[in-house]
Amino acid sequence: MALAAVSGLSFSYPSGRPALQDISFELEPGEVVALLGPSGSGKSTLLRALSGLVPHFHGGCFSGRVVVAGRDTRTVRPAELAGTVASVFQDPEDQVVMTVVGNEVAFGLENLGTPPAQIWPRVERALDVVGAGHLRSRRTVELSGGELQRVCLASALALEPELLLLDEPTSQLDSEAADRFLETVERSGATIVLSEQRVGRALELATRVLFVEQGRLLLDAPVAAGREWLAAERSAYVGACVPRTQALPASGERVLRLHGIAFAYGDADPVVDGVDLDIRRGEIVALAGPNGSGKTTLGKIASGLLEPDRGSVARSGRAFYLSQDPGRYLMRETALEEVALAVAGDLQRAQAALERVGLGWAFGHHPRDLSSGERERLALAAVEVGEPDLLVLDEPTRGLDPDRKRELSARLLEYAASGRAVLLATHDPGLPAHRRIELCVPGTQAPAGAREVRVAV
Amino acid sequence: MSPGPAAALLAAVGAAALMADRLAAVAALAVVLLVVCLRAPAQRRAVYLFGAISTGIGVFVLSPFLWSSPEGTVLWAGPTIPVVGPLDLTTDELYEAGLNGLRLTALGLAFSAYALLLDHDRLVAAAGFARRSALAVALATRLVPSLERDAAGLSESVRGRGVALKGARGYAALLSPLVAGSLERATTLAEAMEARGFGRSASTRAPRVRWTTRDHLVLVVAAALIVAGALWL
Repeated sequence: MALAAVSGLSFSYPSGRPALQDISFELEPGEVVALLGPSGSGKSTLLRALSGLVPHFHGGCFSGRVVVAGRDTRTVRPAELAGTVASVFQDPEDQVVMTVVGNEVAFGLENLGTPPAQIWPRVERALDVVGAGHLRSRRTVELSGGELQRVCLASALALEPELLLLDEPTSQLDSEAADRFLETVERSGATIVLSEQRVGRALELATRVLFVEQGRLLLDAPVAAGREWLAAERSAYVGACVPRTQALPASGERVLRLHGIAFAYGDADPVVDGVDLDIRRGEIVALAGPNGSGKTTLGKIASGLLEPDRGSVARSGRAFYLSQDPGRYLMRETALEEVALAVAGDLQRAQAALERVGLGWAFGHHPRDLSSGERERLALAAVEVGEPDLLVLDEPTRGLDPDRKRELSARLLEYAASGRAVLLATHDPGLPAHRRIELCVPGTQAPAGAREVRVAV
Repeated sequence: MSPGPAAALLAAVGAAALMADRLAAVAALAVVLLVVCLRAPAQRRAVYLFGAISTGIGVFVLSPFLWSSPEGTVLWAGPTIPVVGPLDLTTDELYEAGLNGLRLTALGLAFSAYALLLDHDRLVAAAGFARRSALAVALATRLVPSLERDAAGLSESVRGRGVALKGARGYAALLSPLVAGSLERATTLAEAMEARGFGRSASTRAPRVRWTTRDHLVLVVAAALIVAGALWL
């Protein structure tokens, strides 16, 4: 018997925007399903329908049926489905309730009425499974995004759910941590629906693929058949989508020189120490390295948002910085005004920038009405519109679907070719770069700031 | 010390500071609370201490001009302002301003110590009869650092686009997105809580450490402080 059955599901949010249209499928126990599709296509909404949050929490117009473990989500509150279903949402910071990690993992167990004697052992087991046992007594506000994502997964796994819904759960993890995260998920034994923009990993893990576009289910197939369909219909989703870099211009003028840079937050140990970096016009340089290796810090120093504790910074021209949190580009009432902020209200340039990132339709929309992936693109447009000499992008592919990632890659090459420079802080090896610089976590494999430079492609 | 008695003690110190009439007594309570707050990490405590102390200074500076006392020595006699009346400064007004400023500072510091140093989760767990309210208070307490982080992020996003935030008007532009962001976060958090079974009947509690003799003693001290504040300080 199917664990979950979705039949003829259509849903529109109260704003009237249709999110899902006539979707039907079933989930068998133990299946691992990769849920793919462009950003804003309805993947998150579909996951929320499976957990009952749609329509109970969001309102809107709902038709069709979703039955999970024999219970119709129209008649059962999401809280009653909790335990049978567990969710990990996109942004870990927005789902943390308690102050201390151990209590956070215990929160769901307490709500479900778990016998008190079982709660702490289950909390410890779940934290150990995700490799976060050492975080049990830490305050949640002190954790990095990656650590928080593991704690959120532990909170979900502690419930021992039959159906585990994961909405881009590795967006803040480096490659190695993302692999470990997904391996942990696979071992849980639950039926898993995984919405993920790192398609390669999702397909390796999955037994079945669903592809959603504009609210419609276009593909429901086993992985092998799904790969064939994707290769034929949506090639960006099965690799071979990254354009090759152009030859590096002979020797452009230097736009940035960092020498002997060291920086620490407060009294903590240095995040970067003794880093040298030159960037010339026409270049794309990628900073790589695991969580905590100082990529973001170095990007902020390069763009002038942070002053180093030691070392010198020489900049030629303007440097703009794109934060990895798209929730910071919500200052104005419309997307157009938000983008125009960097160009003194020049709406024409703002329009062109929005069109370049595929948001031509969103001129008059409030930035908060956009989906997570759309906000990422809005943020990119809001920074790129100023055409700075050095464009610093911090995790620019977070939340981007493969098609948008391909467009971004092409745009970056075009940007560099126009005589400007790009500095990327990224976990994503798929982005084009003339040089990749590997940063190390201080105190681990190598001294802080140690790096390996190689020419890519 | 368990968070319940600790919260009761902080509330008692705050209440005693409000009820006490002697400047030295209120100042001593404020200093004790300041020392307690200094145990929190420097980065986290800065905004709380600034809020508590600047509020007290504000009251000290403004109140002599908003409240007039016929008693004490006149230190300065100013003009008479329509509606407000004569502007002057007496020793009695200065004493009252200092007392009120210190009272407010002590109250702010008591809240700061509560926000910075207490384990709110255990406080929520201890509140068996009003868990929802306790959870709401704990979440509201986290609002200050969240807003601080959001404001820094928004400001950084603007500066990262080559736009400078200048003056009060520049920073005032952050208010609207900050409020909207808080509301959005509240909605997302409520959704996450619902998805984790919050609000179901027959919930249980993870076993917690029992109160020690010291915890009971702290409760007695807290009660004594309130009485002392009302009668002797």
